[in-house]
Amino acid sequence: MIECKEFSFCYKGQEQNALNNINLVIEDGDFLGITGNSGAGKSTLTYAFSGIVPHHFPGDFYGAVKVNGRDTVDVQTEELARFVGEVFQDIDSQMVSSEVEDEILFGLENFGLPHDQIGQRLDEVLSMLQISDLRHRQISSLSGGQKQKVAIASILAMQPEIIVLDEPTGELDPQSTIMIYDILKRLNEEFGKTIIVVEQKIMILSQYAKRIAVLDEGNLVFDGKSSEIVDQQPLFDSLGISVPRVVRLGNRLKDEGLYSGPVPTDVDQAEVMVREVLGC
Amino acid sequence: MNLLDYVPGDSFLHKLNPVMKLLAAFLYGIACIICNNVIMELVFILLMILISSFAGLQKRALRLTKNLLVLGLIMFVLQLLFVRTGDPLLVIGGFCVFTVGGLMSALLLSLRIVATMLPLMLLFAITRMNDLCGALVKRLHVPYRYAFIVTTAFRFVPLFTTEFHDIEDAQKARGVEYDTGNIFRRLKLIVPLFVPLLISSMKKVDAGAMSAQLRGFNLRTTQSGYHEYPFHRCDAVCLLFLAAVLAVSVAGMILIK
Amino acid sequence: MLKFDHVSFSYPGMTQTVKDLSFEVHAGEVVAMIGSNGAGKSTVSRLANGLLRPDSGHVYVDGEDTGKVRTSVIAKKVGFLFQNPDRQICQNTVREEIAFGPQVQGVPQDETEKRTEEMLQTFELDGDWFPFTRSRGERQRIALASVLACSPELVILDEPTTGLDYRECIRIMDYITGLSREQGLTVLMVSHDMELVQEYAQRVLVLTDGRLVGEGPTGRIMKDMSVLGQAHVLPAQIPMLALRFGEKFSDVYTVEEMAEAIHREKAAEAAAMKNGRADANTIADTKHQGANAIAAGDKSGNAPDEKGARS
Repeated sequence: MIECKEFSFCYKGQEQNALNNINLVIEDGDFLGITGNSGAGKSTLTYAFSGIVPHHFPGDFYGAVKVNGRDTVDVQTEELARFVGEVFQDIDSQMVSSEVEDEILFGLENFGLPHDQIGQRLDEVLSMLQISDLRHRQISSLSGGQKQKVAIASILAMQPEIIVLDEPTGELDPQSTIMIYDILKRLNEEFGKTIIVVEQKIMILSQYAKRIAVLDEGNLVFDGKSSEIVDQQPLFDSLGISVPRVVRLGNRLKDEGLYSGPVPTDVDQAEVMVREVLGC
Repeated sequence: MNLLDYVPGDSFLHKLNPVMKLLAAFLYGIACIICNNVIMELVFILLMILISSFAGLQKRALRLTKNLLVLGLIMFVLQLLFVRTGDPLLVIGGFCVFTVGGLMSALLLSLRIVATMLPLMLLFAITRMNDLCGALVKRLHVPYRYAFIVTTAFRFVPLFTTEFHDIEDAQKARGVEYDTGNIFRRLKLIVPLFVPLLISSMKKVDAGAMSAQLRGFNLRTTQSGYHEYPFHRCDAVCLLFLAAVLAVSVAGMILIK
Repeated sequence: MLKFDHVSFSYPGMTQTVKDLSFEVHAGEVVAMIGSNGAGKSTVSRLANGLLRPDSGHVYVDGEDTGKVRTSVIAKKVGFLFQNPDRQICQNTVREEIAFGPQVQGVPQDETEKRTEEMLQTFELDGDWFPFTRSRGERQRIALASVLACSPELVILDEPTTGLDYRECIRIMDYITGLSREQGLTVLMVSHDMELVQEYAQRVLVLTDGRLVGEGPTGRIMKDMSVLGQAHVLPAQIPMLALRFGEKFSDVYTVEEMAEAIHREKAAEAAAMKNGRADANTIADTKHQGANAIAAGDKSGNAPDEKGARS
């Protein structure tokens, strides 16, 4: 569980707070999507979860961020890494090895997992992400989607309860994007991992996340169930965040009094809505 | 294909302990340095090519030899012009261009360069960088930090090459004339290439450090490595073989002198 | 403006990435190129500005064969906005950065200064900023400003959505398509964001495995399931929704149009109910004509409509 209490942070040398008075509780087993415009503080927030803020990036830290009851300021990042694993935005530069197997081994070796358990853990993680066939491949030869899977696997291997991902599909095409989100969904549902993901595309969050938090210029401006975002169109419009077209259509028909049911979030639901409105 | 890339395989050479491979490359190199005879240098080069053919690497070895010969040729010319022992061999207009001694020592030096470098270069074809560093940490207790720096540096080379090409493309696309004939203008235009490269490298290195830190880099000890890298009988055989090579080289040096 | 004539290309030692590709982009058009990663989109855009030369076939920019002129000459006509602005930015201040392009292309000093100030204003940039520490969105804007300062005739946008939030992306796209309408700038956008393509492009090229598998007006491609399937893109939502109702919404592409079409359907229904003798054929006819009329009056208006819905 992660708790942010009146948390503010200002990077050293900056005038403006990157984050302002954030109050946020992330329960075990949650699938939280964090969205907002660039510069809203999304990455900074994820850094706070893994202790990179304030341990790697110094600055003024107010309030508290607690991971499983431990104050992130007081414990080292290595200690936090037992609970929180983070996949960074830039897929290439976070790799520390040239081969897939070594990449996954890295964390396991460092944290001193007994060597007789490493082999099994390795097999487990590879099969969880269905990348056993990539085991001995050079990372430089992989596609973007495959690299992202390897990055997730190397975090997953350390068995953190919470996995944080910063725009994992930013540079992937739609097909690979869906593949990565299907994996996150499985990790959440089958393996009970808490997933926290920063994502620009609300459409994909509304399909996969259980909860959505919206940041704007360092402030938490919305925090609620993902089904509730359809009611937040005015907020998103004012922030300039793209809302799925079918949500837009649903809200419009609702405003015009033509429809009163739940606002659709995908094309299938929209079809049901339109059929209801037209009575066909 | 890069001349220093690893070539996967399961030959006798591949199976050697990485520490042994490194030692072997060094000892073989030393043998070639000690050796003071043109014929023997030639034999060492051919022997190395023969050995690499056991691992299916004859093509790589020949390409490397060819490239090293270019380097050797440069040394050959320099040596030829500067060493002035022995009888004059070519005299033009009363000026001695080179001597017998110069020719012999130039020939020896250039071959020695090829013979010495070849095994070191071939080392990369049969050893993955990670294995080499892992074994050095495990067996020789080299601090992991240094090993990590070396592997990372090697890993970054292709990354930076790609980045460099992309930056070059971006600058070309806005009209920077890297295709101009004027060398001085071209040199001036290097700045737009290096500033972005420097900045992106710094970002990459920082992201890498962050990721390594979160995955417990600072907790690592020399015994953390999962792979064990034990020595086998083949390593002993290899060592014996090298002792023989060294012996031949030393004997040759003494006898021929 | 841009013409590919049976172009094939492969990187050394790799399988062919572009195979016998022919297409044309006319002056003043906004054309989108879609396809999954690895379909060859980047290769095509690099062929279009002379960074790469075709192995066979010809690429013509404004009538000139790229195989016969230097890249720096093509660069005067073709602006290229890369996904990653950091590869481009190399000067100490935003002003110098924007002026750099015109300078290396030999634009006179006073003209360069004029354009630079213009760009600073248009993109709300401070000329004295140190560009490297600005936010991603600002850096992308700086990059775009420096590309446009060279007054290109054709602009290639490589995945304009990557790394940018929606607001910034819309801002950039609005500005560029505005230039296209007002000054006849030709735009080739490479993207897999179908909502964006639908809003801004007039025509779409669909690329799969280095081949052109579909080409046509945006509206038609948006509803061509087989082509979209081959390109592995997520179809835009409203055209998909319209498709499920067959003929009824055959000319619906945007939220606005969909809402209007629904109103019309309801009205027609109500009228039929009122008349008391609902004749299915008559209703269908009225609807169809209505839909056609809307579409005809709205051919060029897709984008403004959507923008209206957004603000």
